[in-house]
Amino acid sequence: MASMLQPQIILLKEGTDTSQGKAQLVSNINACTAVADVVRTTLGPRGMDKLIHDDKGSVTISNDGATIMKLLDIVHPAAKILVDIAKSQDSEVGDGTTTVVLLAGEFLKEAKPFVEDGVHPQNLIRSYRTACNLAIEKIKDLAVSIEGKSLEEKKSLLAKCAATTLSSKLIGGEKEFFASMVVDAVIAIGNEDRLNMIGIKKVPGGNMRDSFLVNGVAFKKTFSYAGFEQQPKKFLNPKILLLNIELELKSEKENAEIRLSDPSQYQSIVDAEWNIIYDKLDKCVKSGAKVVLSRLAIGDLATQYFADRDIFCAGRVAEEDLNRVAAASGGTIQTSVNNIIDEVLGTCEVFEEKQVGNERFNIFSGCPSGRTATIVLRGGADQFIEEAERSLHDAIMIVRRALKNSTVVPGGGAIDMEISRYLRQHARTIAGKSQLFINSYAKALEVIPRQLCDNAGFDATDVLNKLRQKHALPSGEGAPYGVDINTGGIADSFSNFVWEPSVVKINAINAATEAACLILSVDETVKNPKSESAQGEAAASAMGGRGRGGGFPGRGRGMRRR
Amino acid sequence: MALAFDEYGRPFIILKEQDQKTRLRGIEAQKANISAGKAVARILRTSLGPKGMDKMLQSPDGDVTITNDGATILEQMDVDNQIAKLMVELSRSQDYEIGDGTTGVVVMAGALLEQAEHLLERGIHPIRIAEGYEMASRIDVEHLEHIAQKFDFAPTNIEPLVQTCMTTLSSKMQVVNRCKRPLAEISVKAVLSVADLERKDVNLDLIKVEGKLGGKLEDTELIYGITVDKDMSHPQMPKQIQDAKIAILTCPFEPPKPKTKHKVDIDTVEKFQTLRQQEQKYFDDMVQKCKWFFSGGGVGGRYWYTPLQFWGRQLVLILMFVQDVGATLVICQWGFDDEANHLLMHRNLPAVRWVGGVELELIAIATGGRIVPRFQELTPEKLGRAGLVREKSFGTTKDKMLYIEHCANSRAVTIFIRGGNKMMIEETKRSIHDALCVARNLIRNNSIVYGGGSAEISCSIAVEAAADKHPGYAIRAFADALDSVPMALAENSGLQPIETLSAVKSQQIKENNPHFGIDCNDVGTNDMREQNVFETLIGKQQQILLATQVVKMILKIDDVISPSDF
Repeated sequence: MASMLQPQIILLKEGTDTSQGKAQLVSNINACTAVADVVRTTLGPRGMDKLIHDDKGSVTISNDGATIMKLLDIVHPAAKILVDIAKSQDSEVGDGTTTVVLLAGEFLKEAKPFVEDGVHPQNLIRSYRTACNLAIEKIKDLAVSIEGKSLEEKKSLLAKCAATTLSSKLIGGEKEFFASMVVDAVIAIGNEDRLNMIGIKKVPGGNMRDSFLVNGVAFKKTFSYAGFEQQPKKFLNPKILLLNIELELKSEKENAEIRLSDPSQYQSIVDAEWNIIYDKLDKCVKSGAKVVLSRLAIGDLATQYFADRDIFCAGRVAEEDLNRVAAASGGTIQTSVNNIIDEVLGTCEVFEEKQVGNERFNIFSGCPSGRTATIVLRGGADQFIEEAERSLHDAIMIVRRALKNSTVVPGGGAIDMEISRYLRQHARTIAGKSQLFINSYAKALEVIPRQLCDNAGFDATDVLNKLRQKHALPSGEGAPYGVDINTGGIADSFSNFVWEPSVVKINAINAATEAACLILSVDETVKNPKSESAQGEAAASAMGGRGRGGGFPGRGRGMRRR
Repeated sequence: MALAFDEYGRPFIILKEQDQKTRLRGIEAQKANISAGKAVARILRTSLGPKGMDKMLQSPDGDVTITNDGATILEQMDVDNQIAKLMVELSRSQDYEIGDGTTGVVVMAGALLEQAEHLLERGIHPIRIAEGYEMASRIDVEHLEHIAQKFDFAPTNIEPLVQTCMTTLSSKMQVVNRCKRPLAEISVKAVLSVADLERKDVNLDLIKVEGKLGGKLEDTELIYGITVDKDMSHPQMPKQIQDAKIAILTCPFEPPKPKTKHKVDIDTVEKFQTLRQQEQKYFDDMVQKCKWFFSGGGVGGRYWYTPLQFWGRQLVLILMFVQDVGATLVICQWGFDDEANHLLMHRNLPAVRWVGGVELELIAIATGGRIVPRFQELTPEKLGRAGLVREKSFGTTKDKMLYIEHCANSRAVTIFIRGGNKMMIEETKRSIHDALCVARNLIRNNSIVYGGGSAEISCSIAVEAAADKHPGYAIRAFADALDSVPMALAENSGLQPIETLSAVKSQQIKENNPHFGIDCNDVGTNDMREQNVFETLIGKQQQILLATQVVKMILKIDDVISPSDF
């Protein structure tokens, strides 16, 4: 190292960690592969769960790639990119988060020997991009549209997609049950874009099959004051009044103070306050509403007033629940009780307070506009329900996606094998080294069926050979063949209804390729010591103070990586 | 934990604070998880059944709990291990949903885990095991439905309900066991009186379970009304009121004040006079409304300087008003001062102060009264009615309770427990809660299965038979796990577990009768139908399903990442 012999030129702040060149690229790839290895085992119906325990003591048991990546708390700069693509896949399509991480990891792994052999990363990147475009074209080509079917048919097709997603989750045993529930919920909200119109409520206790779908809104009984139990708990076709005001005897304005010099007014102040609240309550009653909900508190006075008049009320209803009730019942949320006309009142077929597990639930069902749905989830343990909720979220996203972009591809690794075959075939027509790169891309795609086998404990090489043979048939009839998770052989995924919306695959391949290219194009990392952690920051600033007088405390560190 | 190393063997820093995290993966993680789950089950195993033992638990601040209830034991143990916590939640879920069988569900889950461990050692994929268990649990649930019996009950014929509640109570503390018959009857009657038989809904909030130290367990009683742990506000007030008309108030016995911050400046005598006249007028109006003519003055003068005090004398008027409406007892959410207290006594209007909101509500429901937020609104229709209100003192202690009984509408009832020590009362409360839940479940669904492990044995036989049809070790393992419940029952009763189990099993197969169980109490017959040992169908089904669910979850975990200090 010549630099040790002559005085060093200090370019960067002391303590800065720089590393560059091929070695850096390889080490980035290693880090990404390590991260992909963590989520590897969660893929597919035989995938396992991870239990992640953070230092605050909260625990998550999950099978969802995005959730695991988020909880791992990755700080490595290159590996962080994988977290981001998992997140983007989650927000874009909702499912396939493990797939995307796995694919990116595998692309990088395949690129590593080339990089070590001295191939310029840009060459690799260009070929990968081409391969990615080809793959996406091929998926679009292979995708089968479910457009133009009757609603009933469509429902059962969508349920198949949802079931494929759910099969890898904890609630996989009841996938048909939940799949049809999810489809009903998504169909219920129709073309509504707002996902929060589907509420998921979690009630510990009971078993999965006790979960149910409310074609309307359900929420937990809110905090109630004395008198609540005297209210009727069931109505048929009630009018529903939705409010965003407090119905409580209290000062009208915070911090207001009344100064009286004329004592004769004292009583009138008292009366005024009571009159205000009674006036409000009276207007609520006069509106003809039988159910009064408010986002803010409904006090004991109001509760008793309503109880006397056979009206049901609930205060402190969560905002999202109230919005859902508004959307479902066709009412609008009022911020004043003046001028309540019939148009702003909602209605539903049945309102009932019901016992669900240990809680009492307010359930509004048979709502006229029907643009909301609520899934009440039951399960044996909190973590179980949490995970079930995440799984249902994935399924809901998938169904929504499939509804909009109604093309599906066969799952179970079939589509990946088919693209892989197609790319290999294409590679043969290319002259030059790019042939090798596209071949490696094709090989990387095989990781999905391979991992499915590995997780299920099958002989991956054996199954993959069978698959390759099927897919290589010139007639093309083998295209929909994928891993059969039940027998350890291969099967026609399409006729077995293992379906995925094509958009999931397209997005996954796109995101994974982009991430891989991004990591491949990095050849130098400059790491500022301060940004490492807050503690590091404090130490660094303390060191900086001393450091001015005494040498270069951080210099050695800067060299270490090389 | 380090995920990757560079070519010099140094770890990459990939995760935040990764050197402080530990990771357990693969078969080791599964083994560790299973043994944690099993450990919890082992603790509860000895509490199962009528001869099950109790656990004594001491909380960090020295409170002692003695109990036999699975959910309570686990809750109080304060487990730290994550998998063990899942077992705690499992028990809690059973408690929320069914209320009974909290021990059984954990024992069942423990047995399933134990079987799974053997299968794992043979190299069977954990998800295969989970799937097999799931299939077996479905067979099991169907079989339970098959052997279940419907039974009829009516408000006049509560015997079957009482029998089932007795089965629940028999597994509780021995002291409770002693008078399980009266306790079961109390529970059933309580549930029936609040049940909405048409909707098959029971709101347990309407049953108040109150305990008081002293007396003996046999003194426990069901009160068609409410007890309040309060006494009359003045010792000289009458202790017993027949046909009480109760005014239930949420306003303090003081003048209404504005909620807004206020201040009245009184600097001249005139102003003061007007203020006084004002409020006199207020009360005059109020009194006018109920056609009671205020004769004016006569209660003695006082000087009033603040709004609060200048009402003092009007108290009398309030009281007159309240009495005039017809109230013979005042129950108030707030307190009142000595002056008011004295006046109440003077006017012979008994009163109770500082009654909590929940109790107030229950009183209102029980007596059919309405809660009144201000004096003006008090009308005769809003008064609650109770046949008898009495204050009762216990033994030699100064403790007094107020009983509001023979209510017009006994939709709210109280179970009043007496017992020799606090722990016993607490345990009785828990037992009664279980019994109430069982009665409620029966109202929801009136199917029963026979207890004493007979249902498990019968299911085990059915699952075993199914295992011959479906391939796989897991289903057979499930059948073995089912046997562990009767096995534990036999063990706890001091019988030879294997011998007894196989005898009962062969008896069941031979006579094709699913009613044979473990004779825990040494009655002399194995037929649970004769012994009248019942359990609810939904409770049993729930146990199986919940246990399978949680075991599946535990089996599915192959990677545990945790901070190393845990």
